[in-house]
Amino acid sequence: MPRLNNDQVSAAVWLAVGAIIAVASLRYGLGSFDSPGTGFVPFWAGLAVSLFSCIGLVHATLKQKRGAGWRPVMRGFMWRKSLIVLAALLAYSLLLTSLGFVLCTALFMGFLLRVVKPQGWLVVIAGSVLTALGSYGIFEVWLKAQLPKGPWGF
Amino acid sequence: MDFYQSVFMGFQVALQPGNLLFCFIGVLIGTLVGVLPGLGPVAAISLLLPTTFHVAPVSAIIMLAGIYYGAMYGGSTTSILVNIPGEAASVVTCLDGYQMARKGRAGPALGIAAFGSFIAGTVGVIGLMMIAPPLAEMALKFGPPEYFSLMILGLTILTFLASGPMWKALLMAAFGLFLGCIGMDTLMGAPRFTFDIVELSDGIGLVPVVMGLFGISEVLLNVEQSMDRSIFETKIKNLLPNLKDWADSFWPILRGTVIGFFLGVLPGGGAVISSFVSYAVEKKVSKHPEKFGTGMIEGVAGPEAANNAATGGAFIPLLTLGIPANAVMAILLGAMMIHGMQPGPMLVKEHPDLFWGAVTSMYIGNGMLLVLNLPLIGLWVKILKVPYPILFPLILLFCLIGAYSLNNSITEVLIMVIFGLIGYLFKKFEYEGAPLILALVLGPMMETALRRSLLLSAGDPMIFLARPISAILMLISLFLLVFPLIPWLSKKRAVLPKGEADD
Repeated sequence: MPRLNNDQVSAAVWLAVGAIIAVASLRYGLGSFDSPGTGFVPFWAGLAVSLFSCIGLVHATLKQKRGAGWRPVMRGFMWRKSLIVLAALLAYSLLLTSLGFVLCTALFMGFLLRVVKPQGWLVVIAGSVLTALGSYGIFEVWLKAQLPKGPWGF
Repeated sequence: MDFYQSVFMGFQVALQPGNLLFCFIGVLIGTLVGVLPGLGPVAAISLLLPTTFHVAPVSAIIMLAGIYYGAMYGGSTTSILVNIPGEAASVVTCLDGYQMARKGRAGPALGIAAFGSFIAGTVGVIGLMMIAPPLAEMALKFGPPEYFSLMILGLTILTFLASGPMWKALLMAAFGLFLGCIGMDTLMGAPRFTFDIVELSDGIGLVPVVMGLFGISEVLLNVEQSMDRSIFETKIKNLLPNLKDWADSFWPILRGTVIGFFLGVLPGGGAVISSFVSYAVEKKVSKHPEKFGTGMIEGVAGPEAANNAATGGAFIPLLTLGIPANAVMAILLGAMMIHGMQPGPMLVKEHPDLFWGAVTSMYIGNGMLLVLNLPLIGLWVKILKVPYPILFPLILLFCLIGAYSLNNSITEVLIMVIFGLIGYLFKKFEYEGAPLILALVLGPMMETALRRSLLLSAGDPMIFLARPISAILMLISLFLLVFPLIPWLSKKRAVLPKGEADD
């Protein structure tokens, strides 16, 4: 059996997503046409997602029969770098309130400058410290954005 | 108040020193994000939205609008000098702009891009001033069924014009509609899909979703490619186009302006599509179509005029009907609502200072952009030379701060990061984010209009066909939906270029 192509895989995922939305909407109550309930619109939206993904599946299967196979989406890319950046973003989100804005930002900047496309230590240290202090000055002091303080008060 | 009085009042508002400053900041930031690849106007406006919470609504809208049309000006610089479009609406400018630069004609290319943008931008604003007030009067006759049908048409046009298969665009719109349902059901007061997360009771925020889909995902895609880029080393001279350049560019600018303005008005149209259509038209009417792509000034003048005229046109549905034409307008809609204003037919009557002040500020902004783009071109080139490995952590940091400062909430930041990953996967599997964003914004409005219409008609869905305006809008939508099924017509749609949506 030939390997599934990209659109077949993604349409199958969407089919599941649409079905989950439609089923989950049922518990909010669909109501009736003259008095639509809370789940009415999400239910039809979920059903529409499923319907369009079915059309997509048919479309992609016809393309497969004409020879359209799986096109690698990661090959030839340095996707580990994207993963590192994503991990850094998640870590920043989770540590921001406990470490405080300045320290968390300095660590985040330093990490990205040093790891993704390694810069010299001078650039890393100066870049991370200046960015953390500069953005604190602009957003917290000037624009009064109320950034998280952390245990050190900054 | 007659037209001239309104314009006069608009200039009085726009020329106040504070508003002039905000206009300048807006166009400056707009040019900057236009110049910098990887940060578009959608992400930039989302990012700066929280900073406008403390200023007067008219100043906020003046600045945010300035970012939008400023980015259209700035985007051409990178297309011409680096062959990398600063934002999606300048993709097509690369084709001939970069070739002109390679032939030592970077100056005239940049010059005609700036002048063409200025002329088209100004004409677009005049069009906006002429069309918006009467259209707003007409829209007062709209009831829930007309609004619902109009929003359906907007979404259908966007999915119709989207690149790639239509089922993908429709699927994105349906998913966006679902996302728009998350939060409190406004008619029943019951929460939906909130999973007991307090921040979700107001719905999924547009700004974190936009910054994730367009800002974070773009960085994720850029870092996995080689981050070295070379700027075409050439002395930029003779920024003023010569007489022949003007003669060659006159009609393309004019045609681009008309195309851009009318495509900009259509909900779902916009700057990207109009720049491509303008390029296709110029190639079609040219005596030397084979020379396009080798450095024809018409290939720069037309699309650059079109994408700027489209910005003026895009304000019309927002300001008169309260319906955003693209993702940027969707954020502006959000911004106006945050400032306690409801864009729509009543805006011109209830807040004439905001309407006319914002519109006339665009004249002033266009003038400022001409000054920023031509004499300061050297500065923009220097900024372009900032290496991407240093630039991208800054872009990410701005997105993080922007998402957090919306509600001082980590949940918003996490939503942004999650949508960054989703946007990355969308791009890998060739799904467009624009229909999702438009549906996310229109979703709650559509739901209210649909449910009110059904209540009005005692559950009879035929109400959408029984009222003439609604019926016409529905029939156009239906036609666009079946359009791809008609083989010879769908071939015409297939020639629409592959380009990132606006926004």
